[in-house]
Amino acid sequence: MSESFKTHLKRGAAILLLATSFAAWSPTLSANPQSKEDQEALAKMELFADVFARVREQYVEDVSDKELIEAALNGALESLDPHSSYSPPAEFKEQREAVKREYGGLGIEVTTDAGLVKVNHAIEDGPAYKAGIRGGDYITAVEGVKTRGKSLDDAVKGMRGLAGDPITVTVLSPNMSPRDVVVIREVVRGRAVRHRVEQGLGYVFIETFNNTSLTKDLTKALKSLENDLGGTLPGLIIDMRSNRGGLLDQSVSVSGLFMDGGEVLSSRGRTAEDTERYHAEPGELYPNMPIVVLVNSGSASAAEIVAGALQDRGRAVVLGRRTFGKGSVQSVIPLIKHGGALRMTTQKYYTPSGKSIQGRGIMPDMLVATAPDTGEIRKRFREDSLPNSLLNPDDTDYEENYEDIIYPPDDWSSSKDFQLQKAIEVLKTSKHRTLLAEQSKRYNFP
Amino acid sequence: MKYILPTLGAVAAISLFAFSSSKQTAIAVERPSYDETFQQLELFADVLARVRNDYVVDVNDGELIEDAINGMLQSLDPHSSYVNPDAFRDLQVSTSGEYGGLGMEVTTEEGFVKVIAPIDDTPAKRAGVKAGDYITEIEGESIMGVSLTEAVNRMRGKPGEPITITIAREDEEQMEITMTREVIKRQVVKYEIKDGMGYIRISQFNEKADTGLADAIAGLEKEMGGKIPGIVLDLRGNPGGLLDQSIKVSSAFLDGGEVVSTRGRVATDTERYNGERGELAKGIPLVVLIDGASASASEIVAGAVQDRNRGLVIGMTSFGKGSVQSVIPLRGGRDGALRLTTQRYYTPSGRSIQGTGIDPDIFVSAVPDDGKERRIRREADLRNTIPNENADEDSDDTTEEEVAEIIIDYPPEGFEIEDDYQLQKAIEILKNGTYPNLLAKAG
Repeated sequence: MSESFKTHLKRGAAILLLATSFAAWSPTLSANPQSKEDQEALAKMELFADVFARVREQYVEDVSDKELIEAALNGALESLDPHSSYSPPAEFKEQREAVKREYGGLGIEVTTDAGLVKVNHAIEDGPAYKAGIRGGDYITAVEGVKTRGKSLDDAVKGMRGLAGDPITVTVLSPNMSPRDVVVIREVVRGRAVRHRVEQGLGYVFIETFNNTSLTKDLTKALKSLENDLGGTLPGLIIDMRSNRGGLLDQSVSVSGLFMDGGEVLSSRGRTAEDTERYHAEPGELYPNMPIVVLVNSGSASAAEIVAGALQDRGRAVVLGRRTFGKGSVQSVIPLIKHGGALRMTTQKYYTPSGKSIQGRGIMPDMLVATAPDTGEIRKRFREDSLPNSLLNPDDTDYEENYEDIIYPPDDWSSSKDFQLQKAIEVLKTSKHRTLLAEQSKRYNFP
Repeated sequence: MKYILPTLGAVAAISLFAFSSSKQTAIAVERPSYDETFQQLELFADVLARVRNDYVVDVNDGELIEDAINGMLQSLDPHSSYVNPDAFRDLQVSTSGEYGGLGMEVTTEEGFVKVIAPIDDTPAKRAGVKAGDYITEIEGESIMGVSLTEAVNRMRGKPGEPITITIAREDEEQMEITMTREVIKRQVVKYEIKDGMGYIRISQFNEKADTGLADAIAGLEKEMGGKIPGIVLDLRGNPGGLLDQSIKVSSAFLDGGEVVSTRGRVATDTERYNGERGELAKGIPLVVLIDGASASASEIVAGAVQDRNRGLVIGMTSFGKGSVQSVIPLRGGRDGALRLTTQRYYTPSGRSIQGTGIDPDIFVSAVPDDGKERRIRREADLRNTIPNENADEDSDDTTEEEVAEIIIDYPPEGFEIEDDYQLQKAIEILKNGTYPNLLAKAG
């Protein structure tokens, strides 16, 4: 048998197998293979098998099937949205271990930007933050090894290690030349809550929802504020600016502290029966206390759930800037036989009034800027700036209206927190009541 | 073969930012074991089926699979891609018929289209597009992540039609450039007498390069009274073109013998290309000028001239595009085609051009030494490039040492780029009598 005949046979077998196993795996497809789209899908599957076979045979170098399929899966999944991806077995194993074990880390969230590792956010008082690394910096090398061209996971792997061990990273800050920074790794657990009294009012700062004791710590913080203020809390500021989110159940229980039962959010999949509703526990800690929630374009996911719930339910005035808009849920689906996993967007978050957060975020009741007016709205990085991000079917305008933004006076010192000042002003005047009244009109929610 | 798909509710774990946990249950019925390839294909089918069933919105399977194909091919190298049926039809038109273009050779890097070099006398060259520029937008639309074929298609159109592209250049603000598409002129060889020497510039290896070169040599001979004392062959900024043209051009300077070989994955894939007997420029001293934007066919010519010790190569290290792409029609073109890297170029002495490029015999820079290494990015710096298999494991270190040893002849401070220091050096070598010694040393 000639070589080419053999490869031909092999290719035919591959195509057949791929098409049939796709059909077998796909119940809708096998139930009704006649529709035009299904036939198209099967034809494309054959095309895929054909390309795959030719690459294996004719590419200038030997390529492993595994790597080819991995690249194909990444190509397909990344085309869906920026949060869907495939993890090969080794990576998935490590992800699971990473959840279980406590690694020493640098306390930064990273992303890739033009092939470089970019710091999205440095957790305040985390090891990297203490060493002078800030959001917006680039990490160009880890222990002298360049990060350019590496996958994010490889780069992050290099940064992890045992707590207490030093690590040298090369940092590139905007408008500066690269510098080496030594960071001592720590077990980084986002500090749950910080609190203080602000001009006779309670102030809590929630930096992350990635902490299982958040709700407990918050309850404690509120009690302590109550004591500091002589037994009553006349008003509360919940600061979730630049809070990137975290655990869903914490967002539900934190919201639950301030509302007497009722819906906090729903997550909805493609079909109606995929809908899950999350409710607050009955019983509210401070039923009549006025609340202002502070958010900005860095407030994402769980933070948006809390802001959206308190706003929709008429429980708080939301103040600051339009939030990030990460309103999608990813499921990690283990692929049993292969050992890898599929991370795929399966659901979207909806606020109690039925608005999807995805791509739009939460619009504050009062738009307040941090820096003086420059005559235009500076474009901020949000979910909808990500290439290929999942669209919100609601296509009504959701951009901030320039005329509505309250700016600090031109001589405002950047060391002072204008948004916080405004929040205090709202709580101390009748503005709070007026805003809530407007809010209830706008959302028409009982 | 039967599977019971676990329902998503059981498999899925709600995951918010930067956190994920999972629990799952699934029952897979026993089935025979396939070889690894089939397992991988199954994995692919499995994942696609799950996306089809469980993704948050409806997806078009066909598009999803096409994205998978693109993802697979782009992981190989920047020059491999899938050409969909429409683009394949256009491709056939564009190689035979007339279409309006901008006149630049492009590749992709980190999701962006990057200019290897603009071609002389084209809209791109006249508008000031430079080698190494990134094209970020076409008609105001971002082309990040768009495949190379698709980007090229969008730039093509009717001759006379204007087009606006956005260019990003290192250390400069993004800029929009509006050009008018035109039929890219085929005149690729120019010649003139410079300081008593013959100067021939080939800007691209299209189907007229060989006849253009023959005309140039004949023209110079006539104008110089029957005898050309020396030729400078300028291949700077020449992004390449047709393989057979690079062989014909090399033949003008070599009396037969091997010019280049292309080798595929297995030894039987090797093809050797020999020059034709009968050397047009017999006995004429030759200096070939190259730079970081000399790619592909240019590197073949420079490599052959260098390996056969036919002339001196001066300038800066070439681009290093030493791979051959085959366009493989799928189902007779009905399914489009596959542009796949199938072979590598090797110089007559067996050096692979891929990644490393051709180092000149004498390094001469076009611009004064500004203290930092001015290096146009070459193939080796592109992500996902095919490694040069000749390179050692620790080639990174050795290259650095070699780079440290390289002596580069820089023009003096304040030297005008327009005065072309590299060309001046080439002519000087031909005129001052050092050529024979230098050639002997290079050999």
